[in-house]
Parts: sequence; structure tokens; C-alpha cells
Amino acid sequence: MSAADGLALVVLAGLTGYAVLGGADFGAGVWDLLAAGPRRHAQRELLARAMGPVWEANHVWLIFVVITLFSGFPAAFAALSTVLLGPLSLALLGIVLRGAAFVFRQYGAPHGGPPVRGTVAWGRVFAASSTITPFAFGAAAGALSAGTGTGALPMGAAGGAVPAGGSVAEGGVPGAVDGGGVWEPFLAPSPLIAGGLAVACCAYLAAVYLARDAERVGDAALVADFRRRAIAAGVVAGALALGALPLLPPQLSDRLSTVGAPAVALSLAAGVTALVLLWRRRHSTARLAAAGAVASLLWGWAAAGVPGMSLQSAAAPPAIAGAVLGVLLAGLAIVLPCYLLLVRTLRVR
Amino acid sequence: MDDLTAAREQMALSLGFHIVFAVLGVGMPTLMVWAEWRGLRRNDPLWTALARRWSKAVAVLFAVGAVSGTVLSIEFGLLWPAFMERFGAALSLPFTLESFAFFLEAIFLGLYLYGWDRLPPRLHLLTGIPVAVAGVASAAFVTTANAWMNGPVGLVSEPSGRVVAVEPFGPFRSATAAPQLVHMVLAAFLCTGLAVAAVYAVAILRDPAKNDGYHRRGLAAGAVLGLVVAPLQVLVGDWATRVVADTQPAKFAAMEGLDHTVDGAPFDVAGIVEIPRLLSLLLKFDPDARLVGLDAVPAAERPPAAITHLAFDVMVGIGTALVLLAVWTLWLWRRRGRAAVDNRWFLRALAVAGPAPFVALLAGWIVTEVGRQPWIVYRVMLVRDALTPQTGLQTYFYVTAAVYLVLSTALIAILRRIAAGPTPADTPHGDNPMPAGRASDAQAPTVPGSGGRR
Repeated sequence: MSAADGLALVVLAGLTGYAVLGGADFGAGVWDLLAAGPRRHAQRELLARAMGPVWEANHVWLIFVVITLFSGFPAAFAALSTVLLGPLSLALLGIVLRGAAFVFRQYGAPHGGPPVRGTVAWGRVFAASSTITPFAFGAAAGALSAGTGTGALPMGAAGGAVPAGGSVAEGGVPGAVDGGGVWEPFLAPSPLIAGGLAVACCAYLAAVYLARDAERVGDAALVADFRRRAIAAGVVAGALALGALPLLPPQLSDRLSTVGAPAVALSLAAGVTALVLLWRRRHSTARLAAAGAVASLLWGWAAAGVPGMSLQSAAAPPAIAGAVLGVLLAGLAIVLPCYLLLVRTLRVR
Repeated sequence: MDDLTAAREQMALSLGFHIVFAVLGVGMPTLMVWAEWRGLRRNDPLWTALARRWSKAVAVLFAVGAVSGTVLSIEFGLLWPAFMERFGAALSLPFTLESFAFFLEAIFLGLYLYGWDRLPPRLHLLTGIPVAVAGVASAAFVTTANAWMNGPVGLVSEPSGRVVAVEPFGPFRSATAAPQLVHMVLAAFLCTGLAVAAVYAVAILRDPAKNDGYHRRGLAAGAVLGLVVAPLQVLVGDWATRVVADTQPAKFAAMEGLDHTVDGAPFDVAGIVEIPRLLSLLLKFDPDARLVGLDAVPAAERPPAAITHLAFDVMVGIGTALVLLAVWTLWLWRRRGRAAVDNRWFLRALAVAGPAPFVALLAGWIVTEVGRQPWIVYRVMLVRDALTPQTGLQTYFYVTAAVYLVLSTALIAILRRIAAGPTPADTPHGDNPMPAGRASDAQAPTVPGSGGRR
């Protein structure tokens, strides 16, 4: 295994961390948006308390992925940034508004008493942007896989070396530059379904985790609320994932049924297990199964690959890749125990 | 506005917005941990109350700094993909280290903010230390990456220009790295200290009843930090300027408004007074030394001189004024001790000195970035060659400007609200018998959505 392969695995690990931890924070925002019924205030309070201490650390996974990607695979990073300008900009807008709105709402009354005017509006912004962000990321992933609006990725399709002098500038990005413009990646069924799937996965994870948090707090009515939501979101996410299969381009579905088959099977098994565990009110274990279902879905997508993209051809020079990989592994060995400390110390109770 | 201008303006706006709030996120944790430590050691609830109050400001500032920093890291690719393609690997080590510093900062800030009532006081204080250290470290790593763009080293290229190998530690060996990152970290402390001092100076000016232990402690902590750093910053700035003169003569010529290469260059003060030969004397310790002017650089490779010169003068002017303020403060303090705070002119000066280092900070970044034009990596890659082939970037710029305007307004309103909360009164004998770790600032920790059971 080369250093580039190792870096690719670290990118995938970072994406997984972002999906199952950061994704749940976005999902919490989705449930804030959909909070309804007599306990809507209690629901919102529980999800804000669960997110409060951890969302920023969870958000760093995204920065970690971005930095590892451009460190290890600069050509791939450049190509993705170019063709996905539209979806990624929308995701960025969502990220900025989500983070700022969440903390603005939290500090709407920093010294107690009723929150100032505008706090409710920031709560709405938080909820809406939490929904938009995973949709934009999902649509970006879907557009990449299906090749819609992204044209031919400006990387050597046959695994050839990246052309000299900056292939992005010279290689041309047909789909994005002329014609449909930067929003074209959204304008097809598969990116839209992928966006919906991402939102459903985030909402599903959030509901499962929140059911456990409600259990720890000892609020049976809230447990029932989030358990119901978890089952519903799990069914929707599963249906979207299965429904997307026939829409995939043949090259991709071939890869998915061969290289990606173990991941797809794992996702299916974990998804069903999670539903069974939720049904039997085993909320704590259900969290693991739900996270496994979403993570292996992501792995299936990664294993099936992006048409025309070859990691080796996009990789950084070996001297860099080795050094970066070493720093990454050492850094993770320090950060992960600290993260566990945070979660265990400040879990909702 | 063409796409190149839109992309440059968007980058400038994103960087400017981020830097103003991020410096407080870098500097405030140190002040906050120091106040908490003092509160614990002296059993002084007023210091603990200040630490608690400041931690709320840090919570808001860190969140906005984190998301606006994310914008920057992704915008590198969205706006300048060809730059990232060629040099992403070269910048990998400082950025990778920065990501871990950021991780640790976020994790321990979570523990610190939400641990006030859950962790024993000493342990809580300990969780603040990684926040302060990691904040400084991440600022240093990011600035190292920027410094490499000003003085790239460690690249091995084919004749075609394609980078075939990079030295992982190149950015740390760049001559521009050390002065630039020390200058930036000191700027963070300078901005933090004087902003904090100004908050309490304004409060006391508006309501003399607030000239109490709480406000005086806050004012003193900020003023001491800011005014001790101010003279150091001038010395480091001098060092940074000399390195710029050595490594980036075009930027130096633009900073000093030196149009022509001359022997015995004069020193120009804000375009008003010109002192013969002083610039040569200052830079080379020789009044007749030859200094390179902009005319030595091909016209197409010259940075915009007027704005670079103006920004440099603004920065140097503010730095000089702050050193004078430090000297006056020292004199006042030696003559009148703690009663210095009763001098309203001193309070007015501190109030004005609050925003000043932020103006200097932005001016300094204008010198760094505009002075490097037209290069994105000095003498290796032009900004226009790095631009994305996508079009319609004006829309992105306008949306970014609108969003950041709204967020700035809301953020300043929230910081003012945090500062305006009820403050603990002085206790009869100065030192207070209440246990310092907890009871003070009792009205504080209820936050809608997260208050109640913690």
C-alpha cells in the first residue's frame, strides 16, 4: 500500500467522521425545522443541549477532509472545486449560517431572562441552513457519481498523469463553463435524490442519537417522539438509497455490484438491524447500527468511485504524501482520545 | 467587475471578516484562562466572573471564526483551483498541523464552555490551557502557509513549470515565515488586549459608578496585555519590514512609496514630510545605501503602490501611537498608581485605542496581500493564472458581502449584550470569602435551549 492509498483511507475516515458525527448535528437542525406537537419546545431544547458542546469539534472533520484532500490529492481537489462550484458554495453558505445562527440563538439571552428579539429568527435560520447544507453536499456527491453537470473531470481518465501547468486552467471543464452554468450539477434526478438521501441520513442519525439522549434524561415522551422519527427517517433513507440504484450510470452500478458489493450489503444489514433495535427500544445499540448503515453507504459510494477519477494520478508527490500521512496518523492518535473525553464528560444528562 | 476582480474582492472580504473575529478567538482564551487562574489563586470572585463573562464572548467569536475559516479553506479551491493543484501539496504540512490544532481547540473549548458547572475548578482551568495554546498554534500555522506564498522555498520544478517535488518542511524554512507569524500572533494579543480594555473604559466613562473592582480588573488585564505587546510589535514589525526588503523588493518599494532606485533614499512620512536619506539609514544603517525602487521591476509585475504605501503608513502610524500610549500609561501609573483609572483623558485614550489595532491589522494584511500582487505565489505563479474557469463570480461576491454584513451586525450586537450583563459588586474587604470556582456570576449560565439541567 502506497502513502497515497493511506491518504485516501484517511480522507474516507474523515468523511465518515463528518457524516456520522457532523451529519447528526445537521440532522438535529432538520428536526428543529420539523419540530411539532405539544413537545416541540422540549424537542428543540434537547437537540440544542446535545449539540452545544460537540458541534464545533464535529465540524472540524470537514476541515480535516478538505485539508487532507488538497494535501494528498491536489489535482483531485482542484478538479472537484472547479466542477462543484455551485453545490459547494451553497453548502458553504449553509455552514456559515448554521454555525453562526446556532450560537446567536444560544446567546439570545446571555444573562437569563427572555431572549431578545430576533432570537427566534436565528433559530429558523439555524433549522433551514441545517437542512440545506447536507442537501448541497449530497447533491454534489450525486452529481459527481452520475457525471451530471460536471462534464469530464479534468483528470487523466485513463489514469494518466495530470497535464503540466495546471490542468484545471487549461484542460477545460465543459459542463460547467458553457451551457448550464454552475447550478447544472443540481439539474438532474440523481443529484436531487442524493441530496434528499443525505438529508434523510442526517435526520435519521440525529433522531436515533436523540432518542438515546432523551432516554438518558429520563423523558419517556421525548424518547417516543424521537424513536418514531428515527424509524420514519430510516425507512425514507433506505427507500431513497434503493430508489437511486436504477438511476445510476451503468459504469457505476457495475462497480457497485462488484467492488462496492460488501459495503452495500453491510449498509443494508446495518440499516435493517438498526430498525429492529429501534423497534425493540434498544436505543443505545441502535446508534451504532445506524451509524454503520450510513457509513457503509458512504463507503459503497467511494468504492464505486467517480467516473474518470484516478487517485494515483491526482496524488501529491510521494515525499509529501509520506510526511503528511505520518503527521495525520500521529495527530489522530492525539485528537481521538480527547474527543472521546469531550463526549463522555459532556453527554446530555 | 470582471471575474478576476470579483474573486480577489471575495477573497479579501472573506479574509478580512475572518481575521477581525479570529484574532479575538486567538487572544481571548489566554486572557480568560489567566483571569480564571487569578480568581482561583486569590480566591477572588471578580476575576472568576470576568473569566466566565469572557468565555461567553469566546464561544460566539470561536463559532464565527470557525465557520468563516472554513469558508477560506474551501474558497482556496473554489476560486483558485490551479493554485491548489500546483501548491496544495507544498502547503500540506502547515495546514495539516493547523487542522489538528483546530480540532484540539474545538474539543477543549467545548469542555471549557460547558464544563463550568460540571468539572471541578482546577480541572476546568486545565481544560482552558489547550484552548489558548491551540488557538495561537493554529494562527501560527496558517500564517506560515501565507508566508510561504510570499517567499516560496522547497519547490523542485520541471522546466515546464510543473512542480514535481516539494519539500514538506519548506514552509517552515521560508525566510518570511518567522517574522510574519510572530507579527500575526502578537497582533492577535494586541487587538484582544486593547479591545477588552476599551470595553471597560467606555463602560466607566458612561457610568462613573462602574469604576468598581470588576471593571477595573477587566480594564487592567486588557490594557496590560495590549500595552506590553505594543512596543514588542513595533520591534517585530521592523524585523518583518527588513525581511520584506530582502525577499520582496517590489513590495518594499511599494510600502515605502519608492518609485525610483536611488542611493540615499529619503524617508516619507505619510506623503507630507520627506526626510533625506533616512530610509537608507534605517534599513541599511548607511545613509548612502542604494535601495531598489519600483522602476527596477517590470511594469507588469509591480504591485498597486498607492494603496500599499497608504496601508503601510496607517499601520506604522497606529503602532507608533500605541507605543506612545503605553509610555503615557506607564508614566501615569508610576505617578498615580491605581488612581490612573480616574483620569478621564486616559479612559478616552483607551476607548479610542480599542478599534485602532484592528485597523492596523487590516492595513497590515492589505500590505501583505496587495503588496504581493500580481503574484499568488511570489515570482512563481500569477493570481490570474490561478483563477477558476467558472464565470459569474460577481454573484458570489455580492452574496458573501450581504451575509457577512448581516453576521457582523448581529455578532457585534450579541457581544455588546454579553458585555452589558449584570456585574458583581465589590465586597467589603476586597477579597471575598465565597468559593471562587463557582458561585459568582450566578445569573449567567441560563441559555435558551441549553440552560437548565447541565
